[in-house]
Amino acid sequence: MARALTKTDQNGALYTRPAMVEAAIDVAFEQDLDTLGRRAWLSDSDDSEFLPLECLVHLVREARRSYDDKAMNTLMPPLLARCEMILKSTIPHNAFPNTEQIREDILGDFSLLFVKDGSDEHPNELDYYECRFHRAFRFFRIGFLRRERALLQPLDPLPPSEVGSNSNDEEAFARVPQAFRSQSTQFGKVLQKDLVRAIDNLPPDERKAVVLRHVLGLKEESDDPSAITAATLSGVTGRTVRNRLTSAAKKLSQFK
Amino acid sequence: MSLTKQTPPLRDVLYAFSLAKETPDAELLEEFARKYPEHASELTDLAIDIIIDVGSSEDVAVTNAVEPCFSPGVSRAMSRFQNRLFEVKRTEAAGPNGRRAQPASVENPFAVLDRTGFRALVKGLQANSLFVARLRDREIDVNTMSDGFRQRVANELSTPLDVVVAHFAAVAQIPPEQFYKADEKPAVKRKCSFEEAVRTSGLTEEQQQYLLGL
Repeated sequence: MARALTKTDQNGALYTRPAMVEAAIDVAFEQDLDTLGRRAWLSDSDDSEFLPLECLVHLVREARRSYDDKAMNTLMPPLLARCEMILKSTIPHNAFPNTEQIREDILGDFSLLFVKDGSDEHPNELDYYECRFHRAFRFFRIGFLRRERALLQPLDPLPPSEVGSNSNDEEAFARVPQAFRSQSTQFGKVLQKDLVRAIDNLPPDERKAVVLRHVLGLKEESDDPSAITAATLSGVTGRTVRNRLTSAAKKLSQFK
Repeated sequence: MSLTKQTPPLRDVLYAFSLAKETPDAELLEEFARKYPEHASELTDLAIDIIIDVGSSEDVAVTNAVEPCFSPGVSRAMSRFQNRLFEVKRTEAAGPNGRRAQPASVENPFAVLDRTGFRALVKGLQANSLFVARLRDREIDVNTMSDGFRQRVANELSTPLDVVVAHFAAVAQIPPEQFYKADEKPAVKRKCSFEEAVRTSGLTEEQQQYLLGL
């Protein structure tokens, strides 16, 4: 049985691995390193020998904690290679002028979590990766990219709208919720990606207003002071939110 | 005594938020913003980043179409990992509270025990000499030991847990200074599981139950 996790959730309960991950770890404990090394490289989740990333993280952590260099050197490269695949699919090659370097830096930073694991400073951050690897790694990647973007100007701003300023805001936002549904049928995939990209390229305040109001469906503001609204989450008045939406609508008017 | 609620670190709150759902919705954001109002702004920014990220990610099928390989990027990340690990190991080995020595000379916390100390340890673990000798000689796979048992051994030896774990994880060997009855030094054996060791060390049923229950 695998070592228990020690991170606690927002309710104070210990995080636990999904049953599927626990079962995979139990099987892995019975296998020799050659077998695990071969399995670790498999990326097809339909393969019966597929090793979930959560399980792979556990095995590398155990190797690190027990100073098993051979196991670490066998299992760490496939773990990083599979992370690199994720980065290639989530950070388009044209997203940054130095995308390759950014992917590599994320990989390198991620590998350091294993060096620090068990230390006073980072005792158990990798617990998250044994529960839901993809979501934890997404958080890690997003944090890195946010810092990177802060250093750069928008690379591909939209051209000025050809539609006049009298366009109707609601029409401009009509397709926004649809663009964020994973199974879009009527809305073309190319157009969907273009709209998401256009929203991503909005100035941060406008981007926030559009997502809060038209993707999450929050109210712009409320008379109830305890209500959570786009205005309260943005720390501004409802009027400011509306102004930002109007400004964003002009930029997104080509998607009406 | 202070009854002030301790807020978890921001990074933990953001991890928890990220893990909660594949894509955050208004309900989740509201729940976390109410629970951690001091982090509401960071939670909102993260929610937006995740939503945009999910909306712009490539299809999973495309992701799986590429097999992982030992690319230059992976090689450089591995190199960075190894270099940092080497630095940490060196620091650990050199520091006054170093966690371990170099791999070739992993500290054996049993080595300092004389016969009296060895007997005291046998008694403290409610085991017998053969079983404790197998612990001393690293014959038992550390991964099959319960956390409770490892901690118990560390407590009995008054040694940090990670030193004890490192000892058990090291290559099985017979320390030259240890005592054994045969004329020739015993050969190093393959490591066995904890349960196997408990079952085959001549322990009483009561001792076995106790050790397996730790």
